[in-house]
Amino acid sequence: MTTPPADQPAILARDLRLTLGEGSAAVEILKGIDLTVPAGQTLALLGPSGSGKSSLMAVLTGLERATSGTLQVAGADFAALNEDALALARRGRIGIVLQAFHLLPTMTAQENVVTPMELAGMPQAWARAAEELEAVGLGHRLTHYPAQLSGGEQQRVAIARALAPRPPLIFGDEPTGNLDAATGHAIIEVLLARRADTGATLVIITHDRELASLCDRVVTLGDGMIVSDVHV
Amino acid sequence: MFMSDGGMAILSWRAAWGIARRDLNRQFRGLRLLLVCLFLGVGALAAIGSLTGAIRGELDAQGQVLLGGDFEVEVYQRPLSEAENAFLARYGDLSPGMRMQAMVSAGEAASPVELKAVAPNWPMYGRLTLADGSVAGDLPQGSAWIAQGVADRLAIGPGDSFTLGTLPLKVAGIIGEEPDRLSEGFTLGQTVIVGLDVPQAAGLTQPGAMYESKTRVRFAGADDPAAVEEALLEEFPENGLDVRTRDRASPGAERFVGRMGEFLTLVGLAALVIAGIGIGLGVSSYLEARRAGIATLKILGATSSDIARIYTLQIGAAALAGSLAGLAAGVLVTPLLGSALGELLPVAAGVTVDVLALLRAAAFGLLIALVFAAPPVLRARCFPAMALMRERVAPLGAGSWRTALVPVGFGLAGIAALALVGSPTPLLSAGFMGGAVVLLGLLALLGWAIRWAARKLPRPANPIWRAALANLHRPGAATGALVTALGFGLSAFVLLAAVQTSLDGNIRRSVPAIAPDYFVLDLPKARVGEFMTMVEAASPDAEIMSTPTLRGSVIAYGPAAQPNVVSEMDELPEGAWGLSGERGLTYSVDVPPGNVLTQGEWWPAMYRGEPLVSVDEDLATAAGLKLGDIITISVLGVQKTARIASFRRLDWESMGFNYVFVFSPNTLADAPHNVAATVSFAGGVVPPGLLRQLAQTFPSSSVIEVGPILREARGILDQVSLAILAAASVAVLAGVAVLLGAIAAARAARIYDTVILRVLGASRGQLLGLQFAEFGLLTAVLAGVALALGTGLGWLVITQLFEFDWLPDWPRILMVLGAGLVLVLGFAFAASLPVLRARPAAALRSL
Repeated sequence: MTTPPADQPAILARDLRLTLGEGSAAVEILKGIDLTVPAGQTLALLGPSGSGKSSLMAVLTGLERATSGTLQVAGADFAALNEDALALARRGRIGIVLQAFHLLPTMTAQENVVTPMELAGMPQAWARAAEELEAVGLGHRLTHYPAQLSGGEQQRVAIARALAPRPPLIFGDEPTGNLDAATGHAIIEVLLARRADTGATLVIITHDRELASLCDRVVTLGDGMIVSDVHV
Repeated sequence: MFMSDGGMAILSWRAAWGIARRDLNRQFRGLRLLLVCLFLGVGALAAIGSLTGAIRGELDAQGQVLLGGDFEVEVYQRPLSEAENAFLARYGDLSPGMRMQAMVSAGEAASPVELKAVAPNWPMYGRLTLADGSVAGDLPQGSAWIAQGVADRLAIGPGDSFTLGTLPLKVAGIIGEEPDRLSEGFTLGQTVIVGLDVPQAAGLTQPGAMYESKTRVRFAGADDPAAVEEALLEEFPENGLDVRTRDRASPGAERFVGRMGEFLTLVGLAALVIAGIGIGLGVSSYLEARRAGIATLKILGATSSDIARIYTLQIGAAALAGSLAGLAAGVLVTPLLGSALGELLPVAAGVTVDVLALLRAAAFGLLIALVFAAPPVLRARCFPAMALMRERVAPLGAGSWRTALVPVGFGLAGIAALALVGSPTPLLSAGFMGGAVVLLGLLALLGWAIRWAARKLPRPANPIWRAALANLHRPGAATGALVTALGFGLSAFVLLAAVQTSLDGNIRRSVPAIAPDYFVLDLPKARVGEFMTMVEAASPDAEIMSTPTLRGSVIAYGPAAQPNVVSEMDELPEGAWGLSGERGLTYSVDVPPGNVLTQGEWWPAMYRGEPLVSVDEDLATAAGLKLGDIITISVLGVQKTARIASFRRLDWESMGFNYVFVFSPNTLADAPHNVAATVSFAGGVVPPGLLRQLAQTFPSSSVIEVGPILREARGILDQVSLAILAAASVAVLAGVAVLLGAIAAARAARIYDTVILRVLGASRGQLLGLQFAEFGLLTAVLAGVALALGTGLGWLVITQLFEFDWLPDWPRILMVLGAGLVLVLGFAFAASLPVLRARPAAALRSL
């Protein structure tokens, strides 16, 4: 797989559907999503709980496969890939920041950041990890374990980890959801600044309209469908 | 912007190790159950292997001392001929000797002894140490070195006099350590060492007397013992010579050590399998606890193969650490094990590093780890990344259980190959392993049945009992693993106790009831009547049986026209042990008591025709003998040929005289020989003074007392049982480790239950009751399982394998089982205490 050309959209989804469960227990989560995200765009996915935001992000990041529809992400046909191929597709191409940070508790901040680059077989991974942590303001916390960091610091490490391999596509699943308002704002500033530095496409899932307003585009989901698509 | 090289599909082992090492806790937190299980299992195998290796090494290193030479030639009832001596003298110095049963007396005391006559140059290797620590010098004329047991029985010491047969001797010293004792094998009495001329002077070597002459050779040059043996037997093919060489100085001891080591290894291997259950449980818990980490790695781009590599490396590192610790402990514990086994071991064993034994133990450990850890690792690689975002996940092509078949199959094949290759008894080893697999399968089935029954049982009204019962079948309950792991060890305890006490019961009760009290050898045939009169006078109801005794070797057998010449055969037919070496022979007018004629006819009372022989039917089958075939034997250098007239079924359980060859009297009656007799006293009460009377009246005869031999056998049985029990206790300890691991793995769920019950008003006492109820139920089930399985298998071993009476000592069995259960309960409660101490407020905040 190669880096998509600049004029190719970062995400191209057509009639994406996701159904969980089988038979009478089957629940349709996504009901035909059409979405095109140009490279370099910042997009906020808004919607109430249960509207399908997280499921859409899971499908767009290859963590879950759509039941039907077509999906091109960073130039790869996600609909045709199995789990391991999706993992390979994520390597170096997709960075993900989760609400609960999900740092590896047994590793230091630098080790957490270096891991995806090692998985992708990138050179000088340790130096890059240090640089990235420096860039998010944690140059003095390289050897600290997650348990020794505050929530905000943990999320900064998570951002550094997502951005260090310089992926063309970054996803944030309510990245400020576990933080107080002030820390959350600081984190968003860091995330947007680092995105601007790298020129990556950014997709953020959020409940926060104020945060959504900082993005180029706001897509609102309701009951598994796109109910509005606004360019800010 | 930069990208990965894109061509890289699977993480390299080096990169995987980098991630694995960082993720692995330095104190192996989370993997300690695996560590402990491997430590126990590999440690046990290393100790057994090291001990066996140390003893074998010692036997090999001391070959010359143990044999008393480089080469030894044995022959019965005669010294070596001049030609034989001349042949051996070409290779070096000779040291002739003799060994026989004899009687000694002093004052009113008498004792049967093992008489050893030695030449002045004995011992050619090693030294005879006396009990006072001094090294014995030359043996003065007319004196003897005696064993402590003889000194005690005759109440004599150095300088005192005693009588051997009719010959008065003086005690030159008490034997401390006899250099070639081990190669002498099992003896029927305490040792008395005398000069080479003494037996003849005491009248013990008359023609027909039962003695064994042993001539040792100390090679002058660098001759190969095997080549000398071949040359000797080629020169004297029909002289009935038995040869021992320095590299197999004590084949009996080597065989015992080899078999015992093999058996203990199998018991240790069974313990390691139990440890394997702990390994599986430990690895599962570890990976379960790392679900989030695994999902995170997948989100970061790790494939399922990368996950498998990372966690295989972590578990492999822990397995290696556990195995290495086990190896070190095994080596260090070897001298302790050696001293615990005491006199059972032929030689002392210090700290030794037997590299092959250690490698074998480590290989067993790592293969067991592979078998039990592979399924959870392969399961873990399918943990979905999406699990981080929500519990309900559409599976992304979950891996199949079939993928585990390859590593598990490879591991099992490796274990079987390692256990069977080089085993002296591969069939027995395979049988043991098969039995262990069946037992484990049965226990696993039982564990499943208990879970099922606990689920189906009506729910008790008492909430404590209800919770206790629920803990046996709740999702994630380790009931099955616990029943298998603890049940195996406890069943082994019960089995050993049942077998040991039954064997002991047989030796103590049944055998003395069947076996005679005295075996009397070398009675002059003309004085049998006098002997019977003397015994009957002392004990009127004594049962006396006598039979002529000769020794000879089979020269040829088979069809008269074309017999098989034994010395020309590369190998004797399997099971035809009666054709090899010198054997006891007899003749009889009647069918021997207890024997049953199965084919052919017995000779008439005054038969004078062609020499005839009756042969044991089992030997006949093994050797392919038919009625009308011939047997040629050599007795005291004279060859005699007899035609097979009948086959007999022997009664080996009678513990009396049993001969595979019984000849018609006209075949052997003219050969010089004596008579052997058995005496059974009424009620087993030996008349006082009879032994002394017999020693005085029949000085050239010897008495073997069965009582002391049985006492010695019981002593050996006790020590063998101790060794097996020690190996089996590793299985129980491994089971306990599994129990602790299971409790630790379910700790969060247990704390949750405890806290909720506390919130609902349960007192600490009630919570303690819950633990009692749960573990009480489990141990009650285990007790039943262990008792049923252990005694069932014990009954099979005793009655079907050994064909003995089933005489278990129930109080002792229950005591052993009780001790095991107390151990299990103790550990269970100790491990549960932190759960009981959980403070509701603190616990609820962290839940």
